[in-house]
Amino acid sequence: MDAIKTLLVDDEKSFIETIEKRLKKRGFAPYLAESGKKCLEILKDSTIHIVVSDVKMPGIGGIDLLKKIKQDYPAIEVILLTGHANPNDGVEGIKQGAFDYLTKPIELEHLIGKINQAWDKIQRIKEKKEEEAFRERMKKQLIANERLASLGTLSAGVAHEINNPLAIIKESAGWMNTIISGMNLSTVPRLNDLKTAIDKIEKSVERARRITHQLLSSVKKQDTALSEIRLNEFLQETIHLVKRSLPEKNIKMSLDTRHTDGILWTDPYQLRQILINLFTNSARAISNEGWIDLTVADTGDLVSISLKDNGEGIAYENLEKIFEPFFTTRAPGEGTGLGLFITRGIVEKLGGKIEVESQVGEGALFTLVLPKFNKNCDTQKGRN
Amino acid sequence: MGKIRIPTRVLVVDDEKDFVEILSNRLEEAGETVSSANSGQECLKVLDEKTIDVVILDIKMPGMDGMDVLKEIKKRHPLVEVIMLTGHGSTETAVDGMKAGAFDYLLKPADFSELTKKLVGARKRKDDQEERIRQAEVKLLLRKGGNI
Repeated sequence: MDAIKTLLVDDEKSFIETIEKRLKKRGFAPYLAESGKKCLEILKDSTIHIVVSDVKMPGIGGIDLLKKIKQDYPAIEVILLTGHANPNDGVEGIKQGAFDYLTKPIELEHLIGKINQAWDKIQRIKEKKEEEAFRERMKKQLIANERLASLGTLSAGVAHEINNPLAIIKESAGWMNTIISGMNLSTVPRLNDLKTAIDKIEKSVERARRITHQLLSSVKKQDTALSEIRLNEFLQETIHLVKRSLPEKNIKMSLDTRHTDGILWTDPYQLRQILINLFTNSARAISNEGWIDLTVADTGDLVSISLKDNGEGIAYENLEKIFEPFFTTRAPGEGTGLGLFITRGIVEKLGGKIEVESQVGEGALFTLVLPKFNKNCDTQKGRN
Repeated sequence: MGKIRIPTRVLVVDDEKDFVEILSNRLEEAGETVSSANSGQECLKVLDEKTIDVVILDIKMPGMDGMDVLKEIKKRHPLVEVIMLTGHGSTETAVDGMKAGAFDYLLKPADFSELTKKLVGARKRKDDQEERIRQAEVKLLLRKGGNI
């Protein structure tokens, strides 16, 4: 538990020093301030949870100090100490947002009691805030999931429908090519232009076909074939594979498997597909020279595989979009924007999760969390 | 070389009329004898009327589904070979189809050279099968003759 950080404010030095001494005996370590001004200075530099302040002070008075604190540090709770003759100060203080007030001369037990109550309130607010943030995060994630699922279904449907006209275009262009091949330049004056145009049609059909096939593969139910993977060997192999396909770049790749027993039950082909996609993305984000670190760690029933690079990073506003289909920052024809969409699809099929952290210029960290023993293991075996 | 090739009798089945038309043109240009059909029913009708070596069959058609057509073809004309055209999303369908007796499958839009290769393969399988049947018949006849 966090220690309660309190700050005592009173212009009567001997008074706060006495209270400090007695509070210390009870395990508190209060900060001291002899004026409202000093108090605000301390708040600027240190984290304080509870301020205990006298009301009657020269300079900034207790009530003004309270207003200032509530305005600038709304999380801090303030307990006011009022003079015996001025109970109205306390009421005014509570109106202005003080936690409570105590009348001087104060009893230490009372003060400690109030401090603890204020601390409880702070904890409750904090918990509530955390819960709200958590709920908000879950809600966002749920919306994102639903959105991706419907986008996936939609785009697969579109892809399927487009395949038929694509097939017609492809056959037509092919047939024209066959016919033209039998002719010669003297009978058809612009034969070469025609050939170039047909060639362009065929190449574009090929490009569109790659997109439709990728989209369809992202939603198709692949049979998962689960087996025991020896991670060290498997990942070394994958790194080797990736390195071979990126000869033009100087990328240092490292593997850390110190925090795993090295075993994972999942579909090796699909896991490899995921890793190759992530590696390729990282490599693209690295201009010429850089590093990619692969770290594997066991946590209970889960295995996390994280891939960290020092590439160009991902802009904050893009972080939520990178898993959507067709989102790409690359030039048309260079990237379909389907890589991470498909990757995420595979990860979910394997019962896992994928997350990203990144800042522009700071590289990116992709964390893949998979169940160590895929739940489908037994049913799959039973079925086959 | 000037070697005369016996044309393969191909039946193209797809509900996309334009696709059937163009593919037929290309296959004819390549020297095959081509018939066409735009539905499963029409396909079966053509098979009853003409001798066909290989059917190129779209798996996704309205009305009679390509898979049902395939099973019906194999039931009525077991020697006719079938090459399936499927969408990429349905590899399982392709596998099921091959279990049901299809020769092979191609993803749409298919590559013409690949289609031609599969066509040659299908034709060869059919020829080989027919040859085995002929030889078996000959053996049977000879044995019968020996018994007399």
